Parts: sequence; structure tokens; C-alpha cells
Amino acid sequence: MIKIQNLNSYYDDFHVLKNVSLEVEKGQIVVMLGPNGHGKSTFLKSVCGLVKKVTGSISYEGKDITGLGAEKTVNMGITYVAENRELFPDMTVLENLKLGAYSRSARPFEKENLEKVFSLFPRLKARQAQFASTMSGGEARMLAIARGLMSNARFLAMDEPSLGLQPNLRIEVARIIKEINSAGITVLLVEQNIPQITALADKLYVLEEGRISFEGSKDEALGNDHLKEIFLGM
Amino acid sequence: MLTEIIDVIISGMINGSVYALMAVGLTLIYGVSKAFNFAYGSFYSMGGYLAFLVFGFAFLHNYLIVFCLAAPILFFFGYIIEKLLVAPLRKRDDWEVKVMMITLGMALFLDNSFQVVFGARMKSLPSILEGSFEAGEFILSYQDVVIFILSISGILTFRWFLNNTRTGMSVRAVAQNPAGAQIVGIPKEFVFSATFAISTVMVGMGGILLAQKYFVTPDGGWDILVKSWVITAFGGMGSIKGSLYAAFIVGMLEAFVGWQFGMTWTLIALFAVLLTTLVIRPQGLMGKRG
Amino acid sequence: MEHKRTAIILAVIWSIVAILPLFFGSTNFIMHILIICLIWSVVASCWDLIMGFAGIFSFGQVAFFVIGAYSSAIISARAGIPPIFAVFMAGIISGLLGVLVGIPCLKLKGAYIALVTFAVHMILEPMLKGDIGRFIGTGGSRGILTIEPMNIFGYAFTNSHPIPYFYLILFVAVICSAIIWLVIRSHWGAAFLALKDAEDFATCLGVSAFKYKLMVFALTSFLTGMIGGFYAHYVGMLSTRMLGIDLFVTLMVILVIGGVGKFPGAVIGAFITVAINEMLSPLGSYRPIILGAMVVILVLLLPDGIIGLIQKLVAKREPMVSPLRNNQP
Repeated sequence: MIKIQNLNSYYDDFHVLKNVSLEVEKGQIVVMLGPNGHGKSTFLKSVCGLVKKVTGSISYEGKDITGLGAEKTVNMGITYVAENRELFPDMTVLENLKLGAYSRSARPFEKENLEKVFSLFPRLKARQAQFASTMSGGEARMLAIARGLMSNARFLAMDEPSLGLQPNLRIEVARIIKEINSAGITVLLVEQNIPQITALADKLYVLEEGRISFEGSKDEALGNDHLKEIFLGM
Repeated sequence: MLTEIIDVIISGMINGSVYALMAVGLTLIYGVSKAFNFAYGSFYSMGGYLAFLVFGFAFLHNYLIVFCLAAPILFFFGYIIEKLLVAPLRKRDDWEVKVMMITLGMALFLDNSFQVVFGARMKSLPSILEGSFEAGEFILSYQDVVIFILSISGILTFRWFLNNTRTGMSVRAVAQNPAGAQIVGIPKEFVFSATFAISTVMVGMGGILLAQKYFVTPDGGWDILVKSWVITAFGGMGSIKGSLYAAFIVGMLEAFVGWQFGMTWTLIALFAVLLTTLVIRPQGLMGKRG
Repeated sequence: MEHKRTAIILAVIWSIVAILPLFFGSTNFIMHILIICLIWSVVASCWDLIMGFAGIFSFGQVAFFVIGAYSSAIISARAGIPPIFAVFMAGIISGLLGVLVGIPCLKLKGAYIALVTFAVHMILEPMLKGDIGRFIGTGGSRGILTIEPMNIFGYAFTNSHPIPYFYLILFVAVICSAIIWLVIRSHWGAAFLALKDAEDFATCLGVSAFKYKLMVFALTSFLTGMIGGFYAHYVGMLSTRMLGIDLFVTLMVILVIGGVGKFPGAVIGAFITVAINEMLSPLGSYRPIILGAMVVILVLLLPDGIIGLIQKLVAKREPMVSPLRNNQP
């Protein structure tokens, strides 16, 4: 579904990603692990058109989308869910969700998607008139994911969806990701090794210092001594 | 005495309503794109001159035609100015100063062009509606009533646009969180240009409305720039509701100070009130901290 | 290294300016223009210090200049104080007012500071023209028509022989630019760079933003007010016309041409701008139109001014020297 070859990204003049190649098949959940500050967020943002200073190639469903801005990629069904949520604080939950369906391709499905989202997150339905700034951390996280789904996404790029959540909420997030995926949405997410989330992965990548240092299945990862060292300290 | 006070209140309300229209426009650009437009006053004069031009043609002697022609012209003008002059500066670290400078240069350019084209003498516009309502000593001209209704309905329309249309919501989204707006696919650059254009229309319309009362002059916009600026700072930059309240307070204050102490004191009084407010509340009446 | 280069450029500029009377000394008109250039170079350098280096959007520079000019004229006329001392007292008055404006301002955010300082500019005209102004001795809307010419220990400077006054102003301008250079070189300069890059971080390190910004407010308004005094005693009359948009924009053009935050760009900018202004003056009412258009075009095409352009050319020739962008000076 999405194929990235030799991606290099720059933040200002800082070379963040170095020759990153990655592939996600339709219907998969692919997880990218890596320590903080090694370029995971930049990677997702580059894929979603939010970082435009890139070289290499990103192709999505066979089309080249390298360097396209987010206003185009969102319309093609690629949606980014931000690590720090990036909600609209002085708007209600409902308005935030409606803005999630801003792109032209999502507009016809706004009502339908809103129902889907409310059934997935009943809490949001109950709080639809509340301002986003008054939500708790967990609720805001759910709203960010829900807003991403409103764009009628076929490919969801999630940036540390469990960041700052308590363990019970992490399990909840993992369940929701699984549900989203079973509805046919392909998911690429980056995390620092959170077991509940990593368990969902069809394929794992590890990003260190802007380079892919590991690619393979979960079992392969478990047999890799280097990975054990960096994530488990063994 | 009593009729005088009522006159002053009415004059404050009417000026306040037009100020509100213009201040909302200024606070809008600041709220959405953090840019400050020094040429805002020149756009005000431009509205007046556009109307004056239209009235130059005998067969166009109608305010409806004036508004219908001026609004798209102002919109287009504002859009182009933003795209050509402001947008290219945004990439720079020091773009805020640069935007202030470039709009100041534009103000000088426009004001003096008006002077060359139309001459330094003030131009008057016909009244939008002749006649007045009289009760004893008390006189209320229909013109004032129409000005009040038009500016208030302008603000209400704009409010409706912000709250109920997709484009309006995208404007608010960019103002509240530009990064979030980009994530949902809102074209930020277009929103910047569009809000600049809308604010140009608002101040230009204000220019047409007030020109009937105060004439059009090449440098008459400076007063308006300063007043709109005071109002937006007083109400809290970026806060539309704050600007609305502040506009009426300023309109009233101006009317009363002008009546009691003379017009030269109005500006001094305005700044005194503004400064006191800012010392107590640096973010203005309804602005946000940080 | 960077500071040393600035000092060399300054020395070169002032040496060239110092020998100009050899060529133009016999033409009073050109000497007059040169004196005006020197005065604007001081005002613009001060503006650059506060806006370009300290990052404070102060739009009150012309106001402090006018305050200084009026104060000096009034002090010398009313109290009979010799102009050379009146000029310093004018600087102090201006500086105190600068602190007074600075205290509420510095708690505010950028655009608000611009407004409050611009407000000082805007209310100055009604103040000077009104009853308060007339009471102090501003002459109301007529202005002050006779101001005692500058004299030092009995030596009187006159308009008909501008060369001595030229060297006096040059001396003042050299001192002012030396002070500004010292400020930029000292830890104030470093503090401002730190504050501009990351205010929160700098305050964590114990850099008191407020203290430094207030000091820069005081210093720039002092120097500006003082040079305003020198201006008053040179031209011999004052009116509120100086508060019009024309002078304001001229100073801005100086900054744009010289480069914001690119001291001593403002000094070079002053000479170029005044020259352009004089060349455009036969165009009459088209002059301000062209000036306005020039600001717009220069901000777009030459965003860092002449100094920025030179830096870019130098950096291209020796690419190994400055791998970091925008870190000058």
C-alpha cells in the first residue's frame, strides 16, 4: 500500500532521516520502534506530507506522493495522528471531529463516519458539546484518533498513541487500534517499546539515529540480541 | 443637557459599531496569522475612494452598487497583497518585523498615490439615506441608523460565517492550532490569504460607511489604524468577542471625552485607558495569556 | 572576530566621512545634507539596537527624537542653560521617559509593544500642540521658531559655516556608534542573542530579560533624545511636522537598506537613503510614492540589507568559514 525508498528528511538544515526504506502492505499493522529523538516523528510527518524537505521516494497505492503537502495527501486517504494531539482547544468535540472531515474526499462520508466514530468512542458522543481544552489526557488522545478517522482514512499514521497514558488506557488504545485495523484501515505506528502495542504488529522496524537498524517479524525481533539490549537492557 | 447626552451616546454607539467591524478585521488577521498590517488604515481610505469613484458615474448612483462593486475589488486586492508581499516573508525568522515594515511601506505608497490621483482635498460622499427622525430637540438621522444596522449585520454575518461554514471553521482552526489545521488537510496558506482579504473588505466597508460622516482624505486612515489597533489590543489581540466589546467602549469613551474636553483629548484618553488596562491585564480584556 | 570586523567597517566609514568636507566643504547645501545624514545614522542605529538586536518592536524612536529636540530647545530658552548642557539634559529626559514607557511595555508581547510605543508617537502631536505643550513652551501648532545655536565655551556654531558643526556631530556620531558597538560586544549583546533564540531557556539561565530590555530602552532613548537636541540647535526651529509619517518611513528605509540587526548597516543606510531622498525630491509628490514602493521591494528582494548582501557574497566566496546560518553578528 505504501512503499518508501531511500527517504532522507531534513529539519531546518539538520539531516534527520538517512536512507530509510519501508513497506506497508494493505491491511497490515506495522510498528516502528526506536529511542526518543531518533527521527520517528519526522519519519511519520514526512510520509504524511507535513515535512516537505525530503528526498527519495514515497509511493502510495502506486502513486508517487513525495513532497506533496498534507492538504493533498489527506485527500488521498493518508492521515496523521499527532503525538501531542494537536486538537483545536476552543472548539467543541463535535467541531473538532467535523474539521477532521475537512478534506474533499471525506465530506460525503461525514455523517456516516461520525456515527462510526461515536460507536467506537461512546465517551466522545457523551461529551460532544464540551470544549476540547477541557478534556482529560486520555479523552483528548481518543479525540485525536477519532478526528483522524473522520478523514475517511485508508492509511492511518499514528505517532506514539499511548504516550502519557496509564496502563489500563494503553490496553484500551491497543484494542481500538485493532478494531480500526479490522475495519480495513492500514496502520503504521511509531512507539517506544510498549508491549501491548508491539503485540499488534504484523511487521516491526527499528529506527536508530535516523537509520533502519532492524526489519522483521516479532519472533525475529525477539531473537535479536541487539534489540534486547536497547529495549530491555539485557 | 439630556438630549446632548443622548446624542453623545448615539454617536458613540454608531462609531463604535463601525469600529467593531474594522477592529474585528484587524484582530482576525492577527489571530490567524500573527501578522500585523500597518496598511490597514490605507485600506480604509481605499474603501472611501472606491465609493467616490463609483459615484463619479451618474448611472451608478446607488449604495447597493457601491457595495457590490467594492467588496469583490477589496477582497481581490487584499488577497493579491497577501500572496505577493506577506506570504513570501513568512519563511523568515524575523518575519514579524519584516511584515510590519513592508505594510508600512505599502501604506506610504497607497496614501500618496491617493493624494496624487484624487488630490489632497477631502472628498465627500452622499448620504446613504436622507432625512431624520425628530422628537422635540432630539434628532436621529436615518443615515446613522443605516450605518449602525449595516455594520452590525456585517459583524453578525461574519460571525455566522466563522461558526457555520466549513471555510469559516477552517479559519478558526488555523487561528487556534496551525499544526492541527495542517494535519486535517486545511491549506494554511490559502486561509492566511483569505483572512487578509476578508479583513480588507471589512475595513474598506468601514471606510465607505464612515466616509459619509467624516469625508475621505489621503491620510485619514492613520487615525483608523490606531483606533482599530487600540481596540484589538484593549479587547485582547485575536479575540473577536473582546474586540466587539472594546469597540463600543472606545466609541463611547471617544464621544464623551470629545464632548467634555474637545477632540484633541480623545486619543490621549484612549491611550490612557489602554495602558491602564494593559498594565493590569497584559493580554487585554479577553485575550489569552502566553 | 565578527565584532572586530564591525569595528573596522565603522572606522573605515567614519574616516571616509571625516574627509568629505575636503571635497564638499565649500557647498553649504551638501554639508547640510551630510549633517542630517549623521543625525539620522545615530537615530537609526539606536532603533536597530532596540529592534534588530534586542528584538523589541519599538516604534517610538521618532517620538524620543522629537522629545529630545523640544526638551533641549525649551531648556536652553527657558532656563538659559547653554545648549551643550541642555542637549545632555534633553537626553536624560528622553531616557527617563523611555524607562517610563519601557516598564509597562516590557511585560507585553511583541505587537502590543509596537502599539504602546507607537502610541507615544501618536499622542505626542496633540500633546505638543495642545494646552499642556503651550504651557511648557512648545509654541503650540506654530512650533518653536527661534532656538539658540550651539556654542561651546564662547565659540558659536552657525548655519552659514556648517563645517565646524559637521565635525561636532561627527564626533557625537562616532561616540554613539562606539557605545552601540560596545553594547553589542558586551554580554548585553550575548544576552539579547540568547533571548531572541529562546527566551524561556535564557531566563532559566538567569538572564533577566526585563533588566536588559529596560536598559536598552533607557540607552537608546537617551542617545536618540540627545541627538534630537543637537538637531534642534542646528536647524534652529521645530514643529510637530517631524512626527509625520515621512520621517518615520525615512528611518525605516535606512534600516531596511542597511539591514535590520546588521549594525553598522544603519550608518551606511542613512547616507544612501538621504542621498536617494534628495535625488527624488524634484519629483515632488511622487517622491513618497517611490519611497513606499522602495520599502516594499527592498524588504522582499534585499531582506537583510546591504550588510546582509555583503555577508552572503563573502560567505559564498569562503564557504568553509561560516557553516552556520543567520548567526551573525
